[in-house]
Amino acid sequence: MRLNILIGGKAGQGINKISEIISKIITELGYFTFNYRDYQSLIRGGHNFNVISISDYKIGSVETKLDCIVALDEKTKKIHKKELKNNGFVIDSKNFESFGKNLNLALSGALLKILGIEKNYLLEKIKKEFQTKEALDAAEKGFDSQTKKFEFKKLNRKIYLMDGSEAIAQGAINSNIDLYLAYPMTPSTPLMAELAKRQEEKNLLVFEPEGEISVINTALGASFAGAKVMIGTSGGGFDLMVEAISFQGMTEIPLVLYLASRAGPSTGMPTYTSQADLNDALRAGHGEFPRVVIAPGDPLECIEKTNEAFYLSEKFGVLSIILSDKHLAESGFSFDKEPKKPLKIEIKRKVPGKGIIRTSSYEHDEFANTTEDAEMAKRNAECRLKKYEKIKKECQKFQMIKKYGNENAENLIISWGSNKTVILDALDEIDESVRNPKKGKWKFLHVLYLKPLSDEIKKEILKSKRVILIENNSTGQLGRLIREKTGISIKDRILKYDGRPFYLDELKNKILNLLNK
Amino acid sequence: MVIKNKKFSKCENIEDIVRKKLSTKNEITWCPGCENFLILEAVKRAILKIISEYEGYKLENLVIVSGIGCHQKIYDYLNLSGIYGLHGRVLPLSLGIKLGNPNLTVIGFAGDGDAYADGMEHFVHIGRFNPNMTYVVVDNRNFALTTGQSTPTSPKGFKSKIEPSGNVNDPINPIKIALASNISFVARAIPTDLNHLSEILEKAIKHRGFSFVEILMDCLVFAPDNLKNKKFYKVENRDIKKAFELAEEWNYEDTEGKIPIGVIYKKEKPILEEKIPQLKRLIEKNIGWCDLKKQ
Repeated sequence: MRLNILIGGKAGQGINKISEIISKIITELGYFTFNYRDYQSLIRGGHNFNVISISDYKIGSVETKLDCIVALDEKTKKIHKKELKNNGFVIDSKNFESFGKNLNLALSGALLKILGIEKNYLLEKIKKEFQTKEALDAAEKGFDSQTKKFEFKKLNRKIYLMDGSEAIAQGAINSNIDLYLAYPMTPSTPLMAELAKRQEEKNLLVFEPEGEISVINTALGASFAGAKVMIGTSGGGFDLMVEAISFQGMTEIPLVLYLASRAGPSTGMPTYTSQADLNDALRAGHGEFPRVVIAPGDPLECIEKTNEAFYLSEKFGVLSIILSDKHLAESGFSFDKEPKKPLKIEIKRKVPGKGIIRTSSYEHDEFANTTEDAEMAKRNAECRLKKYEKIKKECQKFQMIKKYGNENAENLIISWGSNKTVILDALDEIDESVRNPKKGKWKFLHVLYLKPLSDEIKKEILKSKRVILIENNSTGQLGRLIREKTGISIKDRILKYDGRPFYLDELKNKILNLLNK
Repeated sequence: MVIKNKKFSKCENIEDIVRKKLSTKNEITWCPGCENFLILEAVKRAILKIISEYEGYKLENLVIVSGIGCHQKIYDYLNLSGIYGLHGRVLPLSLGIKLGNPNLTVIGFAGDGDAYADGMEHFVHIGRFNPNMTYVVVDNRNFALTTGQSTPTSPKGFKSKIEPSGNVNDPINPIKIALASNISFVARAIPTDLNHLSEILEKAIKHRGFSFVEILMDCLVFAPDNLKNKKFYKVENRDIKKAFELAEEWNYEDTEGKIPIGVIYKKEKPILEEKIPQLKRLIEKNIGWCDLKKQ
C-alpha cells in the first residue's frame, strides 16, 4: 500500500509540524515515509505545501497523484484539487476553524484517525512536545471528528527518519568535527542549525563569520592551526569562496566543503532544488590542483560519504566537496539500515605551536619560502598531479559508484545525487528491477564520486545496449563529465530543470516513453 | 640597513639567540632604503622583548599571517610559523588560527590596499569578535607592488599610470573606521621612529583583545612625499571622545599637518576566546582542538 498526502497552507500555519507528527508516528509503526517540502522564500503567507508518501515497502519519492489533501487554506484546495485521485479526499480546515493556532494539531489528529492509527500514539507525541491543554484538546477533537479509512498495524521493524542535513551533520560528528563555519544561505543552513543544536553535547563549535569569503579563509586558518573544519554554502556563496578554493590547492590545508545546490543562475529560486552546480564544484578555482567531489544520494550515504570526505581531506591535504541539493538537504527520508562504522579521523600533521609550520599562497619551497624558480614550479605542479593519482587510488577503497537492479540488463540508467531514490522507486514500479533484480530489465548506476571518477563507468556503458542519463539540470553535467573522461556521449537524457525534483509517476512515464521511442 | 644598538651587539645574551632563531637567510627584495627594513627590525625587537621579558609568550606559539603587497615580504624574513595568505584576507585567516588554537599568538600583516580595499569587509567586523591578536597595517598609501596605483588612503591628486591626471577621490580615515568599528586597541606609528614603533608593536601584542597598528610610511618609488612636511607628536589615550578628535587631526589628504602617533585608543573588553565556552575550555587546558580528547 502506498498513500500520497499533500498538506498545504500559508507559511507559518504549521505545515511542517503536521508532516513531522505523521512521519514520526508512521515510522515508529514500522512503515516507510518520504516527505517532500515545497516552500517559498517568505516567512508568513504565500503558498507552501509538503507531500508525504507513506508505504509498507521502501520508498524515496512522492507522486503527483494524491490520495489526500490536508488544506489549511482555500488556496491549497484551489491549486491542488486537480491532483486528487478519483477516490481521493480532502480534510478541510473550514471544519476546524475553532482551534485557532492549534489548527495544525487538530488536522494531525484528523489525519491519523483516517489512517487508522490508535489515539495513544498521537496523545503521547502531543504531550511530549506541547504542554498546553488546548493543544491536547485540539489534537484529540480532531482525531474524534473523523472515521477510519485505512489500517496501519504495527510492524516489527526499526525505521530511521532523517533528512539529508541531519545526516551530513551526523557524518561530520562521526568524523569528530571541531569547527563548522558558514554564512546563512538556503539550502545549506539546516546543516548549520543541526550542528549548532548539537555543539555543546558533541564539543564542537559553530561560528558565523561576516560573509562567505571570510568563512573559507577563517576555515583554512583554523584547519592550519589543527582543527577539523567543515564549511557550508550554496550557489552564490560558493562563488564568493572560489579564490580561496584555489588557495587551498596551493597550501594543501585540509578542508571539507558542503555545497547544497539550489536553482540558479544568480539568486534563482532559493528554496527550490537543482543539480546545476556540478560543473562549478568540479572546476571552480584558478590554476590546476586536485580535489575530491562526492555526491551522496540519501541520508545513509550522507553519513558515510561525509566521513570519507573528512578522511581524504586530512590524509591528502585536499579539498573535499560534498555536493548535495535542496531536495536531499530538506526532504525527509526513511530507511531500515544503520550506517557503516566510521573511519577514525586523526590529525597526524604538525601544527603551529609544535614547531615552525609555514605555508604560502605563492609558489613555494619546502620551507614555504617564496619561489619563482622554473624548475621548482614544474616540480610542484607535478607533485599536485601525482597527489591526485594517489587520491584516486585511495578512493578505490570506497564505493565510488553503486549498482542496482539486474547486473545483466541491457538497459542502463546513469545518475547521481538526490535522484537516486526516485530512480530506484521508478524501476520497481516499471518491473521490480531493484526489488527483484533477476526479473527486471534494468540496471541503475549511481555515481557517488564525481571526482575522481570511477573507471567502472566506462565499462558499464560499453556493456549496455541502451543508456539513459537522468539529471536535475538542463545541460546534463554528469553526461559532460562522462564524455570528457570516456569519450562516450550519452544521447538519451531525461533532464528536469524547473526547480522541482522528479516525481515518481512523472519519471516512470519519461523512462518508458524514451524506451518506446 | 644596519641598526646599531648596544643591547644586541654581544652574542651571549638570550635576545641574540632568539634574534638568530627569528631570522631567515632569504634574500631581502625590498627596494634599497625602503622603510619596510625598519619595520622588520621593529617587529623583531618587539618579539624579542615579549619573548624574553613576559611570561606566557613562546616563540613556537607565534604565528604570522601576511596579505599580498610589499609588506608581505616580511613573511619570508621571519622564521616563524605562519601563512602567506591572499590579498585582503589576513583578518579571516588570523581569526581562523585563533579559532583553531586560541593559545597561539597571532600577528597579521597587511598593506593599505590589502587592508582597506579588498579587506575592508573584514576590518569593520573584527572589533565585534575581538579575538586576542594583532593586526599591523603598513600604509604607504599606494599599491606599490603593482606599480603605484591609488589605494583608499591615497590623497586626492595622487598621480599614477592609470590615473595620469591624478586621483579624484577622497581618502578614507582608517583610524576613524577602526574606532567606529569597536576595535579595542588603535595605534599609529612611523618606521623612522624605530624605538617608538617597536614599543607600540609590543603594546599591541600584549593588549588583551584585537589590536590595530597603522604604520604610516613613505614609498620611495611611488609615494615619496607621504610624510613630507608632516609633524608627528606622541599620544597615549584611552578616552573614546578624545580618540575621535585625534583621528580627526589629520584626514589623510592635507599635505601638511600635525599627526598624532602612539596609542590613540585602548579599552578592555571581553575577548572572543572568553565569550565562546568551547574556546575558553581550550585556553584553560592550554591546547588546540587537535589535542582535545572527545567522548
